[in-house]
Amino acid sequence: MTKVLIAGIGNVLLGDDGAGPFAIKVLESQYDFSDDVELADLGTPDLDLPVHLASADAVILLDSAKFGGEAGSIRLFRKQDILRSAPRARIDAHSPALVESIALARMMGTLPSDLLMIGIQGSRFEPGSPLSRAVRDCIPHIIDFVRRELYRLNIWCEPKASAGAPRVWWDRTENAA
Amino acid sequence: MTSRITIDPISRIEGHLRIDAEVDGGRVSKAWASCTMWRGIENILIGRDPREAWLFAQRFCGVCTTVHAIASVRAVEDALKLQIPPNAQYIRNLILIHHALHDHIVHFYHLSALDWIDVMQIPKADPAKTASLAQSLSSWTRNSPQEFKSAQDKVKALAASGQLGIFANGYWGHPAMHLPPEVSLLGFTHYLQALEFQRKSNQIVAILGGKTPHIQNMTVGGVGNAIDLDSLGTLTMDRLTMIRSLVDEVIPFVHEAYFPDVCAIAGMYPEWFDIGRGAGNYLAVPDLPTDSGASSFDLPGGVIFSGDLAVVKKFQTAADPDFRTAVTEDATRAWYKGGTLHPWKGQTVPEYTDFQEDGKYTWVKAPRYSGRPMEVGPLSNILVGYVQGHALTRKWTDLALDRISAVARRKVTVDQLQSTMGRYGARAIRSAMLADLAVKHCELLTNNILGGDVATHNPPQFSKGEIEGVGTHEAPRGTLSHWVVVKDGKLANYQAVVPTTWNASPRDSKGNIGPYEASLMRNPVADPERPLELLRTVHSFDPCMACACHTFDPDGREIATVKVL
Repeated sequence: MTKVLIAGIGNVLLGDDGAGPFAIKVLESQYDFSDDVELADLGTPDLDLPVHLASADAVILLDSAKFGGEAGSIRLFRKQDILRSAPRARIDAHSPALVESIALARMMGTLPSDLLMIGIQGSRFEPGSPLSRAVRDCIPHIIDFVRRELYRLNIWCEPKASAGAPRVWWDRTENAA
Repeated sequence: MTSRITIDPISRIEGHLRIDAEVDGGRVSKAWASCTMWRGIENILIGRDPREAWLFAQRFCGVCTTVHAIASVRAVEDALKLQIPPNAQYIRNLILIHHALHDHIVHFYHLSALDWIDVMQIPKADPAKTASLAQSLSSWTRNSPQEFKSAQDKVKALAASGQLGIFANGYWGHPAMHLPPEVSLLGFTHYLQALEFQRKSNQIVAILGGKTPHIQNMTVGGVGNAIDLDSLGTLTMDRLTMIRSLVDEVIPFVHEAYFPDVCAIAGMYPEWFDIGRGAGNYLAVPDLPTDSGASSFDLPGGVIFSGDLAVVKKFQTAADPDFRTAVTEDATRAWYKGGTLHPWKGQTVPEYTDFQEDGKYTWVKAPRYSGRPMEVGPLSNILVGYVQGHALTRKWTDLALDRISAVARRKVTVDQLQSTMGRYGARAIRSAMLADLAVKHCELLTNNILGGDVATHNPPQFSKGEIEGVGTHEAPRGTLSHWVVVKDGKLANYQAVVPTTWNASPRDSKGNIGPYEASLMRNPVADPERPLELLRTVHSFDPCMACACHTFDPDGREIATVKVL
């Protein structure tokens, strides 16, 4: 049995940084998954991430990323791509720690065999702002990449018979819509 | 020769802590702490329902989620003068204790131990000698030669692969690193084990809070947990037993691995008890209330001024009348408009200039207490408790000082805890105390429920008009306070004065430097290109610039730059 974790990463109060958690809410409201799939909005878990990784055989991370593309473009990263960046020396406790977390999990032998990160290029990170138009529009593509990965892993996922609106409680514009 | 060091780890999208220091003759002569991201996140809350504020507040920071949730509901309860049932106090306390234990363990092992342990020395250690050393320090059950050998093999494998992975950026071979290889291996082995115990501590938070990292059970007036000893889906006897057994697993790690490790490593770096004294003024609020009305606490609070450990002004309540009036935020040297304001009147209106060392240079305002810069954090917590004669604080502090002194072969005093190493010691002392209190609060909760009290919530009532409240919490990084103004049932103002704001505060209108800046003065710097000593002192506070974006940057590099002046 393959246990799959699909995790949104990012701060929902900081505009496009919340793209991953937003996509999780959409997945929750529109799709049914096999019982081995866990959906989670992990916020910005920093060095707690290895704990979440350790419980899964395969992980799909949805995270905002900065790779120089246009806002709303998507890039896929596998384990090796992430490990290629050297971890940074850290001055404070909670700097972004994706690379460290993955490197730590690898050293501990708890890194899931499959790891895909779907990176979303953002443009607007002001506190309290909703997703930028470009990032909002790329959400269906993110969902599509998640479904393809699940298909590759041979994990069941189907659109719900009656999909509800995503419960994006932090976003006033979504709630109004 | 004077040189200027700038440590600015992430200078792209995310805002973080930047440290600038002028080094003259191998010692820091001037220092500036700057936060590079706007912290105007509280503005999101204005106009919202005070009952939902905690949901947003716990997103201020990705790791200190629970602490903001609790400070937020306490602020609204304070404004409403609303008491919460004893069960709600105990459940909140258990969440706070286990969040703090998790956080302190992660700080020591995963965020700062490698400032003191040279990983590249580990392959030289003798696992059998390490085991006998470890067994002489404590009765921890996982100090076998096999355990040390297996940890050492992990480092050897990384070194052999030529890809250091997680250790790629350390200051290995730095002249300020001088632990014997066996002690490095001991610390590193517990670094690996620590992951397991910080997870168990977090599991307790998840059981009580419904989920981590974002708990679901907070509510203004108490907690959302339904207690029914017989039914599923509520807080049952089974779950209470599960919590207790996790508590019983976490405590030995704290008392027999973390605490002795810190004492041993501190004793081997005794010179660091003479470096890094900060502002010398200490602030801690009382926490872990033991009754519904919060009239007594298991962690004491108060203030100490000018490093004078003969005098403490004790706080009787969670938001002492002095505390309510003494706190101000000074924006003179920060990128905001406005001068010095009380948090209830506080404004967050940005006014960005560049980094101007004689002008504005940070996104952090300067909180002051009766006009003075204050250090907050475990050191303040321990000193304030010790000076007022708090028994549990004295028990663990005296034990720590005895052990450190024995290793150092010289007397290390309470006064010397006012130092870089003292902050590490204080965090371990506080953890040892919290481990004792975990058992106590588990028993308080269980006994109260068995006594027939299942209440967890008193409903809040909002009426027309304006009310003000402050919610405090002695968080892992120190005193946190959320200040709310509620008008006709909606939030009219919201200000969070967070621990790192106190510690990372810039200069104020009178030119007083903040605690980080003060602690860096006179710090030695052996090699300006690799300013390990500055990181040790800054890390001793456990900085958290909070609320940061997380965006993954595949090309990101940390860099310390040095310029000869």
